Amino acid sequence: MATCKECKNFFPGVRGDCVRRVVDPRQAYHKAKPVEADRDAGDCPDFQRKS
Amino acid sequence: MANPAQLEKEMTEHEQKQEWWWVAEKKRSKRLDYLRKAVWKKGALGGNYAPGIKLDLEMPTLFTNMWRFWKFDPVMLRRAKALAHVLDNISIFITDQAQLVGYMGSLPHTILWRMDGASMVNEEVYNEPGIHEEPEEESLKKVAELNEYWAGQTAIDKVARILDPEDAVKFMSGAIGWGAPSSAYGYSNKNYEYFMTGERGFEGILQEIDRAIEMAEEKTIGVPGPEILSLYDRIQNWEAMKIVMEAAIRFANRYARLARIIAENLESDPKRKEELLRLAETCERVPAKPPRNLQESLQYDFFVQIIARLEASEGAWPSRPDYYHGPYFDRDVNVEKNITREEALDLIGEFMIRTYEVGGFGPRWAREGLQGITGTWVWTIGGVKPDGSDACNDMTIALMQAARLVRVANPTLSFRWHPQVKEEVMRECFECIRQGLGYPNIRHDPIMVANAMHWHGHPIEEARLWVNQACMSPCPPTKHGQQPMRMASATANCAKIIEYALHNGHGHVVNMQMGPKTGDARAFTDFEQLFDAWVKQMEWLFSLLVRTVNLGRYKDPEFYGRPFLSAVSERSVESGLDICSPEGERGNCWITAFTWVENADGLAAVKKLVFDDKKYTMDQLVTALEANWEGHEEMRLDFVRNAPKWGNDDDYVDDVMLRCLRECARFSRELRCPSGNSWPILPENVSGNIHYANIVGALPNGRRLGDALYDGGISPGPGLDKKGPTAVLKSCGKIDHVTDGRAFLLNQRLSPTQLAGEAGYQLWKAYMRTWADLGIDHVQFNVVSDETLRSAQRDPEQYAELIVRVAGYSAHFVDISRKTQDNIIQRTVQGIG
Repeated sequence: MATCKECKNFFPGVRGDCVRRVVDPRQAYHKAKPVEADRDAGDCPDFQRKS
Repeated sequence: MANPAQLEKEMTEHEQKQEWWWVAEKKRSKRLDYLRKAVWKKGALGGNYAPGIKLDLEMPTLFTNMWRFWKFDPVMLRRAKALAHVLDNISIFITDQAQLVGYMGSLPHTILWRMDGASMVNEEVYNEPGIHEEPEEESLKKVAELNEYWAGQTAIDKVARILDPEDAVKFMSGAIGWGAPSSAYGYSNKNYEYFMTGERGFEGILQEIDRAIEMAEEKTIGVPGPEILSLYDRIQNWEAMKIVMEAAIRFANRYARLARIIAENLESDPKRKEELLRLAETCERVPAKPPRNLQESLQYDFFVQIIARLEASEGAWPSRPDYYHGPYFDRDVNVEKNITREEALDLIGEFMIRTYEVGGFGPRWAREGLQGITGTWVWTIGGVKPDGSDACNDMTIALMQAARLVRVANPTLSFRWHPQVKEEVMRECFECIRQGLGYPNIRHDPIMVANAMHWHGHPIEEARLWVNQACMSPCPPTKHGQQPMRMASATANCAKIIEYALHNGHGHVVNMQMGPKTGDARAFTDFEQLFDAWVKQMEWLFSLLVRTVNLGRYKDPEFYGRPFLSAVSERSVESGLDICSPEGERGNCWITAFTWVENADGLAAVKKLVFDDKKYTMDQLVTALEANWEGHEEMRLDFVRNAPKWGNDDDYVDDVMLRCLRECARFSRELRCPSGNSWPILPENVSGNIHYANIVGALPNGRRLGDALYDGGISPGPGLDKKGPTAVLKSCGKIDHVTDGRAFLLNQRLSPTQLAGEAGYQLWKAYMRTWADLGIDHVQFNVVSDETLRSAQRDPEQYAELIVRVAGYSAHFVDISRKTQDNIIQRTVQGIG
């Protein structure tokens, strides 16, 4: 089972953050959403395993 | 890329064509250009949201989950825990090139939904096409679940249950007023004198709260007595304030962490890395501690505004940015030279862009009444200090320069003019007006200070600190002067007063008895009988609205609760009471009088053509009005053309206006707010003149049901001010702008050709001297030609950035409805000089 901490978008901390680059029709930005390190990332479309 | 000479040539051409938006685009920095174009416009186009704007479901979901969990807590504590959960968990983002951060939704294109405000609005959310994220079915399912939970327990549902049923039906008819009597949808002035003076940040406030709790707890374990009983509730309120203040600091730290993550892991440009690290340092500093520089000061203010808007749907943005940020600007730019003026302009321009970006879901009536914007973000600049000396500073100028670079329709600026204002500042005001921004509007500071003292008894030192609480009403941001909650539901559709006076209180449009039965107007034999009926209808209308608002205000701490707003308010931190509790507030209420001038013109027309000239009988008039003038066109044109009209320095109609205002002023003293203070009226309109076009029946000024109403305040009817600008000013100058009401909006259109060059400035200055000498409290200008406006109607894409002054706010011309556009074109272009 893949977990958030194995993803390259995951940044650990007291609480982890999923940080993603988004480019929408008007602007580009980085967004962050708190996630648990051990959360199941199996159904996450943005999961990218750390190399 | 164009060479400098070519660029200069292009700019000159654009200036000559009055295409100021192209000039701005070429003049502003690359950063500002990027950020300005990056904005997802949240203001509705006419009444609809722009493509791509989506409803944010993160905040409502996070909030509701925690709200349900803490169901046994008192409301303020419960809201604090739910809000803290949102601040800890909502997605945050940092836009490329940004130096300031914060937004109310989880993504830049989303609008906030205040799901705990009103079930009626929630139903509209569900049914609004185009705003639900794909897959739409899934989004709608979530909305439906949230609606099901909140049905019957929103703030307005609770107020509606205890409102007098007859009042409720009449209010909800939509015919006589608008708004919602809850701080869920209010305009909160902020206690800037408490949190924005540099003396304390949130950590300092937390210490003050801790001390208050400690003292209260000591009393609760002391000798029993009635005086300690309320302390139990107050301690819980202080705990609620603590919870949100601590969460606010964590919220800022989340941005700091994201900025560091980007800088250290994802950004390759060294300059941007440096900016991100500075942003991280900024968010680690504020709001926890007082700001040390301009960037921190702006960010601190912005965090307060965003968190307050996550707590409640705030419809206004009372603020005085030059006064509170000016010392940091001066230190950074002029004294220590930490940043250049251009860098400071980038920060200020971005501060305005960030504000422009803010938007929440509004029901259709609000979108139609505020076309093109999401709230009246009117920032107050200029004015005086508490000792009466000139408060204008370098940031006053910088704000106006930045405004011309970013050309946002929201916020707009409101300039407090006084006799000591320096020439260089007046020239900046003029330049903004000349470049067609529609702002700053100009306020007569000595008049407004006197007005704030007259109506609400604010001491002079506090009155001199006033900010616009919404579009136009002055309010001191001080401990006892700050009004934390003003609700739009004290907004009266005043054209209904004369309509009901002529129809025995019956509303033909909604087909029900609305006002009191003041007699069959067909039987009136003199003007005094009609005027008496008018006074009774006015008293009824104002009483109903004020009763509703007073009740909403009184019950707000129980029905809604504002832990964050309380925590940034000195009197709550001191007392432990919700800031919406009236205790300790001096009171600063007003009734917004929409569609006002129709009363003066209508009454004067009846007086002249029926009672004085005896050209028509009352029976003929009432019959014609009931028929919406159909079959009576010749008579209607007589009432349009041959009855005296306000704004022409004609004592006949001007005296009627004064009589109406003075009756209102008398009654304003009888109406009392929960603090026991007065309710003066404030004639203005936003775009209510269009919203109410199909709600107000035919009137004796010749208007038919469906025709746009006048553009508001004390502005003459479009095209009816035929005797030039001085006559308009003279009519308006007959009003006592201190004692006759709270404030009076005056729209004027001036010719862009006439205002060109130094001669144009001198003409405008002479006009402003007359305005000041006559003691008029407000004026605002549209300086865009008919030709440009018509070109924009034909080719909206080429004129996407053209701004106009609508009423108490500005909007991009292409964002307002065709009817509103036409109404602006119809306003008389005044030739001055």
